[in-house]
Amino acid sequence: MRGSLTWLWAITAVLFLAGCSSAVQSGHNMALDGADLVKMTDQMAMSIVADPEVQAAIARDGALTIVVEPVENRMRAEVLPRGPSEAFTARVRVLLSRHARDKFQWVMNRDAFYRLRQQEIDVDLGPEPQRVQPRYALTARFSSLADEDPKRRSSYYVCAFDLTDLQSRTLLWTGAYEVKKVAVKGFGD
Amino acid sequence: MSKGLKHPVGARLLSPGAPRAKRATQALSLLLTFLVGCANQDQQRADHAIQRYYMGDIAGATKELRPLAKKTNENFVLNNVRLGSIALANYDLDAAENAFLAAYEVINSTGVNNGGRTLGAVLVDEKVKVWKGEPYERAMVNFYLGVIYYMRHDYNNARAAFENALFKLRDYAGDDEKNYKEHENNFSPAILMLGKSFQRLGRDDLAQANFDKLPPMLKTLGNPQLNEQSNLLLVIDFGYGPRKVTDFDGAMVGLAPTPLEAGPIARPIVRVDGAYQSLEGVNYPPVDLLALAQDRKWQSMDTFRTLKSAIGTGMIIGGGVEGLRGITGSGARQRTDLMVSGALIAGGLLLKATSQADVRQWELLPRTVYILPMKVAPGKHEISVQFPGADVRQTWRNLDVPEEGEATYYFRMNRWNEGPFDWPPAAMAEVNTSSAVSGN
Repeated sequence: MRGSLTWLWAITAVLFLAGCSSAVQSGHNMALDGADLVKMTDQMAMSIVADPEVQAAIARDGALTIVVEPVENRMRAEVLPRGPSEAFTARVRVLLSRHARDKFQWVMNRDAFYRLRQQEIDVDLGPEPQRVQPRYALTARFSSLADEDPKRRSSYYVCAFDLTDLQSRTLLWTGAYEVKKVAVKGFGD
Repeated sequence: MSKGLKHPVGARLLSPGAPRAKRATQALSLLLTFLVGCANQDQQRADHAIQRYYMGDIAGATKELRPLAKKTNENFVLNNVRLGSIALANYDLDAAENAFLAAYEVINSTGVNNGGRTLGAVLVDEKVKVWKGEPYERAMVNFYLGVIYYMRHDYNNARAAFENALFKLRDYAGDDEKNYKEHENNFSPAILMLGKSFQRLGRDDLAQANFDKLPPMLKTLGNPQLNEQSNLLLVIDFGYGPRKVTDFDGAMVGLAPTPLEAGPIARPIVRVDGAYQSLEGVNYPPVDLLALAQDRKWQSMDTFRTLKSAIGTGMIIGGGVEGLRGITGSGARQRTDLMVSGALIAGGLLLKATSQADVRQWELLPRTVYILPMKVAPGKHEISVQFPGADVRQTWRNLDVPEEGEATYYFRMNRWNEGPFDWPPAAMAEVNTSSAVSGN
């Protein structure tokens, strides 16, 4: 009877766990996540501020006027929706605004400006993008190589950031974040 | 009671643990009732939403499905793809993108069924498992996601989604290298749209490489010049996808109807401002999901379920034989035989009961998706799509066709959804205004 009771409780526990576990919490997704966002953007912001070429440009021209573009998705078989694609470069801008306020001046990109204006929020968005000419552009391109077999999936990501001089079409600074992710498939996958 | 009752010969009939067992059984019954009750109610609401959609009540269907799609239970993916289909037909592209993305993220995750769901699916009911769809259903999630991005001219994300549709098919083909290639070539809608996305990204080499993968009957559709010159693309969902069916004891699952049973797929006629548009060579169905579904390998769970059912049948037969022996026997041996018989029959029935097929499916899938690139005069047009063989049509007025670039419109052919509709639809009006301002 004790054995039967144990089984009964085990089945109850299985049912309970099965009933309660969330479909979105127990899975493991290999996509770039919040931890990558923080680590990557911390690295990029520090690298930009510390770069001798960037420092020389600031010493020569004063605060750099920069427009920030969303990430260009070149990843293999991986969607990067608009929100996350903006978040990766936006966080670099936020970090630099916070920690090197006097060295950079930020210009809102055209799409973001019109999107915010469309929302009719009660905030002064400043002059229209056509009236402000940024000298530099902060861009990013994410690429990946993906592989999959019946037992596991793996992806190798290269996230390249560029600070480009729009007048001379030259790269003032470039940096990259690389990470490999592997997921082992389970019984139900 | 706590000490149990004694049999006249001294044997303890109820052990000290009996009350606990009773409580456990009651708790189990309550829990099962609760879980099954909730699941049935949600399923009824989902069924009702789908009925409303087919009757043309898209707003009502969306309202019913939206709360279900937020529940992160075993039907999370299923309810999101249902919602995505309905939102796409309603041109609510943001809602459709969010719904398909939610499904996409879970489908692309591993270990989703950890945390007791796998064991629960094996021991109790396969429907406990988080639904991730059959291979053709997963490919269609990615295909629709790609279509949404393509409609928005976000060609990088469209490319990624179409690649993922092909990537997923490869996944389910298993170890066999030959099978994997066949799967990748089979899903022509994604190959064609991947080629078109590369073309829009300026990668003519990769576009050509994908167009070259199309089967011979789709060569006209994969003509690079035709696609490059196209300024109007119609993506038309037609017919109804496969349905999961069970055999007599509910164990084996198959997909019906077969293409032969359903008959040939009707071809569309397109009229622009009333004038017949030549579709020679391009109105060929790129895929027949009924045929595709018949080709698919099933999950190991299906094999397991069949095995459970077979063992269950064996146990019931064994129990019957043992029971007969018990009836004809006598004394202690008779009692043992009858007990063994009862246990075998009960175990067999339990195995068969828990080997019922998981017939959850994405009911809103079409049988095929026509992809029609066309070159028409820029401006506003009334466009009508008709399937004479199936007696369905749909008309949209004031569809914008650009001079440069390609405008993409999605038609879900449905008997109760003929229109005429005016462009832009309510859900799209705000987005269109925004795009026009930003010049996209």
